[in-house]
Amino acid sequence: MSNNPYRVPTAGIGDDVGRLIDPKKQIDFRWNGNKFAGFEGDTLASALFANGIRVVGRSFKYHRPRGVVGLASDEPNALVGVGSGNLQEPNLRASQVELYQGLEAKAQNAWPSVDFDIGQMNSIFSRFFPAGFYYKTFMWPQSFWKNVYEPIIRRAAGLGVAPGGADPDTYEQFNCHCDVLIVGGGVAGLAAAQAASASGARVIIADENPQFGGIGDIAGGSIENQPQTAWIRETAAALAQAENVHLMTRTTVVGHYHHNFVMMHERVADHDPALLRSGAPRHRLWKVRAKKSIVASGALERPIPFANNDRPGVMLSTSVRGHLIRYGVAPGYRGTIFTNNDDAYRTATALVQAGVSVARIIDVRPEANGPLAEEAEKAGIQISTGMAICGLEASVGGKQIKSVRIAPYSGSGRVSGAEEEIRCDFVAVSGGWNPAVHIHCHNGGKLDFDEGLQSFVPRPHDDPMQTIGAANGTFGLQAILQEAYQAGEAGGQSSKSAKAGAGKAPAAESVSENALQPIWFAPATGKYNEGNKHFIDYQNDVTAADLELAQREGFESVEHTKRYTTLGMATDQGKTSNIVGLGVLSGSTGKAIPEIGTTTFRPPYTPFSLGSIAGTQKGSLFHVVRRTAVFDWHGENGAVWEPIGDWRRAYCYPRGDEDKHAAINREILTVREKVGILDASTLGKIEIKGPDAGALLDRIYTNTFSTLKPGRGRYGLMMNEMGFLFDDGVTVCLAESHYLMHTTSGGAERIAAWLEEWLQTEWTDMQVFVTPVTEQWSQFAIAGPKARALLEKLEGDVDFSPEALPFMGCVAGTIEGCQARVFRISFSGELSYEIAVPSNNGRVFWEKLLEAGEEFGVEPYGTEPLHVLRAEKGFIAIGDESDGTVTPLDLGLNWAVSKKKADYIGKRALELPHLSDENRKELVGLLTDDPNEVLPDGAYAVAQVKDKPPMDMIGQVTSTYWSPTLNRSIAMALIEKGRSRMGEKISFPLEGGKTVKAEIVSPVFYDQEGARQNV
Amino acid sequence: MSEALMITALSELDLPNNLTLKMSEVVDRGMIDLRGLPDDKKFLSAAKKVLGFDLPRTPRSSTEQGELVCLWMSVDQWLITCPRKQTADLHARLVEALGDTHSLAVNVSDARSIIRLEGETVRETLMKGSSIDFTQPEFTAGTVRRMSFAEVAAMVRIVSEEPDVFELMVFRSYAHHAWDWICATAKEGSGVSFLGARESPATV
Repeated sequence: MSNNPYRVPTAGIGDDVGRLIDPKKQIDFRWNGNKFAGFEGDTLASALFANGIRVVGRSFKYHRPRGVVGLASDEPNALVGVGSGNLQEPNLRASQVELYQGLEAKAQNAWPSVDFDIGQMNSIFSRFFPAGFYYKTFMWPQSFWKNVYEPIIRRAAGLGVAPGGADPDTYEQFNCHCDVLIVGGGVAGLAAAQAASASGARVIIADENPQFGGIGDIAGGSIENQPQTAWIRETAAALAQAENVHLMTRTTVVGHYHHNFVMMHERVADHDPALLRSGAPRHRLWKVRAKKSIVASGALERPIPFANNDRPGVMLSTSVRGHLIRYGVAPGYRGTIFTNNDDAYRTATALVQAGVSVARIIDVRPEANGPLAEEAEKAGIQISTGMAICGLEASVGGKQIKSVRIAPYSGSGRVSGAEEEIRCDFVAVSGGWNPAVHIHCHNGGKLDFDEGLQSFVPRPHDDPMQTIGAANGTFGLQAILQEAYQAGEAGGQSSKSAKAGAGKAPAAESVSENALQPIWFAPATGKYNEGNKHFIDYQNDVTAADLELAQREGFESVEHTKRYTTLGMATDQGKTSNIVGLGVLSGSTGKAIPEIGTTTFRPPYTPFSLGSIAGTQKGSLFHVVRRTAVFDWHGENGAVWEPIGDWRRAYCYPRGDEDKHAAINREILTVREKVGILDASTLGKIEIKGPDAGALLDRIYTNTFSTLKPGRGRYGLMMNEMGFLFDDGVTVCLAESHYLMHTTSGGAERIAAWLEEWLQTEWTDMQVFVTPVTEQWSQFAIAGPKARALLEKLEGDVDFSPEALPFMGCVAGTIEGCQARVFRISFSGELSYEIAVPSNNGRVFWEKLLEAGEEFGVEPYGTEPLHVLRAEKGFIAIGDESDGTVTPLDLGLNWAVSKKKADYIGKRALELPHLSDENRKELVGLLTDDPNEVLPDGAYAVAQVKDKPPMDMIGQVTSTYWSPTLNRSIAMALIEKGRSRMGEKISFPLEGGKTVKAEIVSPVFYDQEGARQNV
Repeated sequence: MSEALMITALSELDLPNNLTLKMSEVVDRGMIDLRGLPDDKKFLSAAKKVLGFDLPRTPRSSTEQGELVCLWMSVDQWLITCPRKQTADLHARLVEALGDTHSLAVNVSDARSIIRLEGETVRETLMKGSSIDFTQPEFTAGTVRRMSFAEVAAMVRIVSEEPDVFELMVFRSYAHHAWDWICATAKEGSGVSFLGARESPATV
């Protein structure tokens, strides 16, 4: 016993105590850095008990010592950190952490140690920390909140700490469909699965615990004349053999969403890190679409708040019994039971049978009779009825319970009269059961208050979802099985190929239990009332007094009370505190509980890992990077990348010691003086064909395309219905009624969808097919005075002469063994071609261009030089000069906006007063007074410069570059009535008090007559 | 003039050796995207004349005959795959046979990459990146499914079963992303065996 203070001597021997542990297999672990040992099958909570450790953490606000309260995911108190460094995970419930060799765990919110904590001073001064303390106190001065108060409070209050670095483990997601999803693998869930699967339906049954069976091992009763555990074992084994059933343990249903979409969190490897090393993901997030869902999530035992009910050693009754029967540990040597129902008597009897003394059963009900009470009496346990705990004495610091005080309790909630002190070192509490209605409520399920249970039960759900068993407020074993079978059978029939039904539910027997008597709060008496706290929400340190204070201060709505006091807002989402809190509010307001209502149950049921939400989408798989056929070449040749849509394009190619600016300038001058090549494969390409193809283009573009002859191309503008410019590009006529449209790189998918939408929803009479072919072609621009000379060196059947291929001409042929489409178009103002070849030939063709151009000094150029080249020519770029509020007329593109065509998208909108207003901003060029001064992008022009804002803004810079061609800065801007202000000087006040002056000029800075491209 | 060298999207990627399935890029198939009206008899018969079989009209199905496979893509769209070297000829014959009939046939052999997946874990591996449940009974040989996979547009055709052979098609610029995704999700030890008999679970 000295080595294992709270492990009962017979643990693991036989089937009565310690049934889940194997005392022959020792597991070593570390707690707060110290070495301890437990057994295989232990949880961290049970192993700590076995080692005599009852204080496992410090509370959130008052830093009070806290211990284990619950049996599984209901645990509000014993939150621990597991692992270290970047593998550490905070806020895990000790009752759910399975022990494995080498486990490292530590207490949270404690400094310097969990046994001696400086923050406990908060507890001594706790009367100065009422509900809403932070709201009331740290109001002034405002700036102090962010810089002084909040950092201090954050350090003192709180739960675990975040891991130290990037998580090295892997996570993934899995999607599936099923006919029936069963939430919870207790007796109800297993019976429902049995009934549902009999029809051949695809069934998933998931349980958050490592074992199936719920609390069947500690609930008493028998099924088909054998203990519940035997039936559970056989049923689970039979389900495991079935081809149509998927059984999952350690899998929490965290959320239920529309149309029975259910999210489940599977803890694949937390219990056994060796699995990680063999390739398993740590967690897997399941996204399940279920035809029917059956919620068998059981019920949560609720505590009865009494003075200092948070002392380590005060636990829920089933938690005490579960720890004893499953792991062979008790929370102490001498316990008292505080109850309002019969079930807690089972705990008392089990303790005595295992050799742990029970000093007293304290039952608030006036009488204790029935088989469970008789059994306890037979075991020699003293019972005090009509009594309640009115005080708890603990050692200094509160870590060790010494005794409880009890006093007569009247049904009206008063505790008064002769008191008695009972020596004990732990207290098992049971205040009844709350159906776990969380999953039912996630997607709008409603609740009704059940007077008999004094709890909320589910109302039938609008979704194909049914709640059964204890989660539905059904507690009799036979009734649970019948309900489960009915639900399972009905669910099974949702399968397309459902076979015959399941048959009769198994027969069960269980002892009868008397009704409970509601008690929400056992007040401390007399002088003990001073300084005592009755905790409702352990995790957020919310007391009964806090709730009453909130009422007095006017936070009458339960949703306001919740937010003011933080009741139920901790990581346990109020599993043990919610209904109790409502009960206390009911008592203090005189309203019935149903009148007070509940707060909202939201996903997740328990916290789950962010890693599983990210799943496979991390690192290079976080978001796709689209690659052209020449992507690798760009990378190998020093490209700096620019994201455009999901593509990565070469921004420029610095060489040697060059910085980006030097590279950009060099590449621009290469195009102006020699020849450059650009990977333009990302341009959208859409084939459009059909008798009405020309008519479609005439409606889509602002200018006319139906007159375009085969072998010719035209630059076009697209507006949306509001008259705003949203894409541009060159469309060529490949053959009669057959066109190839080019779009911007970012617009490719959007424009294809735009065309389909008009054809499918508005212009259904038009005979046109639209096929996106962006990915089929690698497309390269060859631009510069030597472009033709370069191309003429290539082997092939294309005539590049100006006669055969004039500006805006297009021709198909074969070049260097590649099927090729050649377009004579220019975005740089130079003699320029674009050649498209099939993508799989792209890399080879690109290298041929470089080889053929070597003698002319060819260089690749990136997207930034491309932009400077087009800006020098005053060509607009969608997204720079346009921002969704700009019309083609604003940009001076009147020549491309047809006045003859009967209609096209956006035409009518251009007539609207605000779009035809003569005061609109118009595109102009800018030359700064200081040619070396490059205006910042987006800089605002003002009517008059003042000392400080506000100033009247008259426009903004849309494109601004250093032009190596002109050896000065250039910019384009949208300026109010800009075109009528030619020659005017305007001012751009910048940050830091500096003002840049610039002259308004034509936006075409270079080669205004267009001579360079017409050669 | 010889034909230019072809470099496919995945030709330079390495295949990790710890995968639960066999994976390779299919490079010898050509593809033709065919559009036409499903109630236009002239269109249907012209296509049949060239292909030798009727275009599949059942959603999410495909027809395979000899070296030709035709995949249903939507009510008025089909994807025909054939040996890559025959694509230009097949395309020309289709265009000629279709003549003035309202239709659009485009050679898109390089627009998509085909990743061939083979093995018992193919279905569950795909289910890690797509909301489609490939273990449902309708997913038999010949089934075609367009989907979002690994957050990108994709399409799958079940080539054969027992052992499962699937062809996953993604647009070329996404090919390496899909490839890397499968490498990450098909690792040994990470397999999910959805449904089916298994060991008895632990119970209380």
